[in-house]
Amino acid sequence: MIIGTGVTKTYKQRGDVLGGRNVQALRGVDFTVPKGGAVSFIGESGCGKTTLGRIIAGLETYDSGEIVIDGTPMTPLSPRRRRPYFRRIQLIHQDPYSALNPTRTIHQTLRAPLSLRASKTGRPASWIDERAEELLSLVGIDPGYVLGRYPHQLSGGMRQRVVIARALTVDPDMLVADESVSMIDVSMRLSILALLKDLRERLGVSVLFITHDIATARYIGGEGELYVLYRGQVVERGLTETVISAPVHPYTQSLLSAIPVLHGLERPGPERVVPTEALDERQADGGCLFARRCPFRTKRCEAELPILTAGTDPAHQYACFHPQRRDVIPVEAVA
Amino acid sequence: MITISHRAGETPRPDSHSASGLIAGPGATTAPGVRVRDLTVVYKTPLGELPALGGVSLTIDPGTITGIVGESGSGKSTLALSLLNAVQPPGRIAGGSVEIDGLGNVVDLHGDRLRQARGRHLGYVFQAAQNSLNPLKTVGKQLLDLGRSHGVEDRRALVRDAKSLLERMGLDGARVLDSHQHELSGGMRQRVGIMLALVLNAQLVILDEPTTALDMITQATILRIIREVHKERGLTTLMVTHDIGVAAEVTDRLAVMYGGRVVEHGPTMEVLGAPSHPYTQGLIRAIPRLSGDIEQARALPGRPPTLGTLPASGCVFQERCPLRMDICATVEPPPVIEDGRTVACHAVERSRHTAQREEHP
Repeated sequence: MIIGTGVTKTYKQRGDVLGGRNVQALRGVDFTVPKGGAVSFIGESGCGKTTLGRIIAGLETYDSGEIVIDGTPMTPLSPRRRRPYFRRIQLIHQDPYSALNPTRTIHQTLRAPLSLRASKTGRPASWIDERAEELLSLVGIDPGYVLGRYPHQLSGGMRQRVVIARALTVDPDMLVADESVSMIDVSMRLSILALLKDLRERLGVSVLFITHDIATARYIGGEGELYVLYRGQVVERGLTETVISAPVHPYTQSLLSAIPVLHGLERPGPERVVPTEALDERQADGGCLFARRCPFRTKRCEAELPILTAGTDPAHQYACFHPQRRDVIPVEAVA
Repeated sequence: MITISHRAGETPRPDSHSASGLIAGPGATTAPGVRVRDLTVVYKTPLGELPALGGVSLTIDPGTITGIVGESGSGKSTLALSLLNAVQPPGRIAGGSVEIDGLGNVVDLHGDRLRQARGRHLGYVFQAAQNSLNPLKTVGKQLLDLGRSHGVEDRRALVRDAKSLLERMGLDGARVLDSHQHELSGGMRQRVGIMLALVLNAQLVILDEPTTALDMITQATILRIIREVHKERGLTTLMVTHDIGVAAEVTDRLAVMYGGRVVEHGPTMEVLGAPSHPYTQGLIRAIPRLSGDIEQARALPGRPPTLGTLPASGCVFQERCPLRMDICATVEPPPVIEDGRTVACHAVERSRHTAQREEHP
């Protein structure tokens, strides 16, 4: 189980012509990933979702706040002492084309972490190849076909499966999947998502799913929690089905309204929300981060920053002064 | 009742969009129709010449906005480039024709006539707008270059048109023309791309993955702009995309490509609401949706063919098809038109015959 409280991260940009400015990638994010659970973070580029994923996977440090892994707070630990905790959290990259070393066969790619593990745990050398084959079968590919091949000889979907198999070599407790299917062909995306779902159900590996595509989050983490990130702040959080079917924050509603409607199968939601202007990250802070784009803003929104609070349902939280449920998602045409 | 589509003269659909020409933009002519016939494009590889397009026939009615949907290797981009006669080596158009109203057979155009056709008649919006803009020149300078290469004499009018197009798309025209591409966001660059494609009054516009790499909300904005501009200027628009949702949102006709063939083509609402081809059915089922039972989403087994893995004979989809029959391995299913919809599938054809026999025993 991983608990984050008030996690912040600021990137300092060196001054160029415009002068230096700081980008607040995360502004105090709280989250909980239960053991064996699925949690999704959604948002657009620049919302901080990738930074958060990298921090959770231990690939990036945080400025303040606390991350507690299985009861142990990370902040007091030296980077060296943190490492064994973060090793149990593996990141699956967006791009399966660059995540694998092109000069190594799949066998070599899997062998390296496995032999390290074998020597640490005193397993015989024969275990390495057995385990490599076992892992490839687990992710649904024929070991005989891929082991001797190089990454360029495999399709994108197969490569992503190899990346997942490699992540599994260290027996992780959690996989962080950052846009892991966005570069895979549409007809094969679902099979990769189904694999992640399956690994969670069969091996109890928890999955942190980071995406801009809310519908895939619904597929993979239907019963888990969904977090909506906007400019480094969680603006809405709740059970995935609740946030999708009864969104309250105007930003969540804008995101859901922007999803293309499959005309012929669906009708547009009756209350679709469109932001009044495009994102300008340089705009001054102070009030609600979404205020300038929000069609429902009031004076208060421009002056005061709303914090995440629950409504009548304690599991559904939102950072908005004027919470209002709206029907924005498409309605099935047949019914 | 059933015709094979290899001949020209599929029924045009005068009902759709005939009104859109009335509110066309400045200097507009009528939207052109496009007739692609038996188009074959091959790529030279170490294994010999392999077909990226294997005899594609597609009729695009004037004034429609048509989506060409397919996965990587389906031939959708090759088809789009063929409309400009812009297939680059190692690829070449090996056969067939592309008739565009007002231009004739584009496959026969060369040199200056071809260059003039591009821009004047055909506008192309590239997949990654940031890669199609020159990073060293302002947008305005590139606009003037475009004007010069097409012999535009009234440069003021060109700039005025460009500004009004940009403003139409919600941008500050003067500021954008003075900007370099790195000063513009992805959504702004994409709108610049659309402006450059339209500013010479092209009436046939081809958009190649116009929203890839854009955020959801920006994507929705761009799609709305595409639809509005299409209507206002009375264009014939073609949108190539891998994302069936994007196509569903804006198009009124949809062509589904697989393995270098158009396997299904028809009105978007009908193709999505009642897909005929097993590939289209599988593709739609593989889309996770926001409403309904998410557990009904199913992956399509197997993977799309590449140039080298196309079956040697028969249907291109046979290896992944749940309806496969013996004939599918040997005979390629011809595209069959019925009620304004084209489908190339033996199983669909057979079930139609069965249904007819039951109706008229």
